[in-house]
Amino acid sequence: MSRAAAFSPALERATVLANARVAEGVWLVALAAARTASSVEPGQFVHLRIAEGTDFILRRPFSVFRAGGGRIEILYQTLGRGTRALATVAPGVEMDLIGPLGSGWRIPEGAERALLVAGGLGVAPLGMLAERLARDGVAVTLAQGAPSAGRLLARELFEDVCRRTAYATDDGSEGACGFITMLTPELIAADRLDVIYTCGPEPMQRIVAAQAAEAGVACQVSLERLMACGVGACLSCVVSTVHGRKRACVDGPVFDAADIVWEPAADPEVRS
Amino acid sequence: MSAVDMRVRIGALELRNPVMTASGTFGSGREYADFVALSRLGAVVTKGVSTEPWAGNDSPRIAETPSGMLNSIGLQNPGVEAFCAEDLAWLAGRDVPVIVNVVGHTTEGYVAVAERLEREDAVSALELNISCPNVDEGGMAFGTSCDGAAQVVRAVRAVTTRPLIVKLSPNVTDIVEIARAVEAEGADAVSLINTLLGMAIDTRTFRPKLARGVGGLSGPAIRPVAVRMVWQVARAVGVPVIGMGGIMDAEDAAEFMLAGASAVAVGTANFVDPAATVHIIEGLERFCAERGIGRVAELTGAIRE
Ligand SMILES: Cc1cc2nc3c(=O)[nH]c(=O)nc-3n(C[C@H](O)[C@H](O)[C@H](O)COP(=O)(O)OP(=O)(O)OC[C@H]3O[C@@H](n4cnc5c(N)ncnc54)[C@H](O)[C@@H]3O)c2cc1C
Ligand SMILES: Cc1cc2nc3c(=O)[nH]c(=O)nc-3n(C[C@H](O)[C@H](O)[C@H](O)COP(=O)(O)O)c2cc1C
Ligand code: FES
Repeated sequence: MSRAAAFSPALERATVLANARVAEGVWLVALAAARTASSVEPGQFVHLRIAEGTDFILRRPFSVFRAGGGRIEILYQTLGRGTRALATVAPGVEMDLIGPLGSGWRIPEGAERALLVAGGLGVAPLGMLAERLARDGVAVTLAQGAPSAGRLLARELFEDVCRRTAYATDDGSEGACGFITMLTPELIAADRLDVIYTCGPEPMQRIVAAQAAEAGVACQVSLERLMACGVGACLSCVVSTVHGRKRACVDGPVFDAADIVWEPAADPEVRS
Repeated sequence: MSAVDMRVRIGALELRNPVMTASGTFGSGREYADFVALSRLGAVVTKGVSTEPWAGNDSPRIAETPSGMLNSIGLQNPGVEAFCAEDLAWLAGRDVPVIVNVVGHTTEGYVAVAERLEREDAVSALELNISCPNVDEGGMAFGTSCDGAAQVVRAVRAVTTRPLIVKLSPNVTDIVEIARAVEAEGADAVSLINTLLGMAIDTRTFRPKLARGVGGLSGPAIRPVAVRMVWQVARAVGVPVIGMGGIMDAEDAAEFMLAGASAVAVGTANFVDPAATVHIIEGLERFCAERGIGRVAELTGAIRE
């Protein structure tokens, strides 16, 4: 397994280059952040300060969707107070971030075929990964699930670098009608996969992990937890694993699926 | 800038400046070493350490609140043996005083940790945490009655030669009587405040935002409460007071010292700015220099009334 040598994180002043809506409730912000852009690895994240003052005591963690040329891109969903405020930030504004943070995706030695399974904003940490895998000559299949065709994200990027893409939408407006996990068993069976990478709602990741285990394919998941420090100090972000409680911000967010002790599914969360 | 003497004394402990980290918000210091030269700090106060490993509470463990946050970490820690072997061993070479925050479910638990730490040269002082609101037994239960507080301080005092700081809970009717009780049992200093018990409910799911239900409130939201308590305690006891609660910048730190604190601790601010401690040290020095104050210790209790 190759996991990139950890590059120490730093506080970086970043300037907003662009911030635009790319789908219903989903935005893409591009930031000039040279240090992070040149050192971030696929699956790592930045801890972004939304505004000065004490209105947002906690930073917000976001995966780096793409990086290069001194800039990083973050694909984000407007969920609550923080992300709604982020959507109003204009180009030229300076923000500060801590990055690069976390342990990202690992590419097994000699991997030839990989499956990426994304639900909703789960595509965010998979953009850099798809590009990296393609560059390394790995044949990539992407399976993406979304509420509707208009919410399938970053199609150009993935269709450009992936050998194959498969879609599922809740309303059937594109691809299969239903959950993406209906398509994945077939995709897993069709290929002699070396690795499966997944990110999205935790119940989805759990199903993908089970399907991978059944097929005997290594699987990595990227888990979200509420985070305060982002650097491993406060123990806000723990994930239960067979090796005890681990911190999503430094030991993850990417974990081997086989190590995860899945917590009982909470009620489906209601979000306004 | 004219040289300001930044040194302060907490009993037998001399610190190069009055700014330390607040327990539980700075790990063992290692986690912040990319952002802060630890040798700049007055002291590193570690997370709470118990005899055996504690798993802590379920997630979610934090929630953002107006100008603050709730946490219910629940004192997750690897136990004192692993703490000494890893965290303390790493901290030992960093040229910074180390204050270990000690927790227990029982008096015997506190005593066992203190006894074990007695063998470690790297420990500059103990901070007895009798004020954590996030565990069911021990923790705050000791810190909310004079008898409970006195009993655990007496027992630990008997087994440690290190300076003993007792960390007080704000979740009491009269913090002054608790402070007096621990002073009478031989505490060398008191630190305050630990978090205020609080709660937040998600109106979309009708569930508490923390898995545990309730948690501890920290950050600027609690600062006026903390300043008031430091002011009350400092005038009532003879031992030094370490003040904390929502300190975000040097002015906030100065405010605590004016109220009577000899030193201060910075907690939640580290999450906003990982170099907050250093910025506060530099700011405090400037604050004094601009006002012609030669020694930072002159600020302690300098409130005009
Ligand atoms: C390592 C990591 C990487 C992430 N990457 C991305 C990304 O690339 N794009 C993206 O859109 N989001 C990402 N998230 C989630 C993102 O951090 C949250 O959506 C964001 O913090 C919500 O902030 P808010 O102020 O809008 O919401 P709040 O007002 O804080 O909360 C609104 C709702 O969002 C939920 N929420 C808040 N924080 C999180 C969280 N960390 N994870 C899941 N739900 C949360 C709350 O429970 C609540 O229901 C990531 C999270 C982590 C831990
Ligand atoms: C995430 C978190 C963890 C904490 N853990 C501890 C702890 O282990 N022991 C302790 O005595 N206090 C603990 N505290 C309390 C702080 O040390 C401090 O007393 C309190 O947060 C007030 O200071 P602040 O507003 O600057 O954060 C914790 C606080 C936070 C926010
Ligand atoms: S967010 Fe603080 S330890 Fe992970």
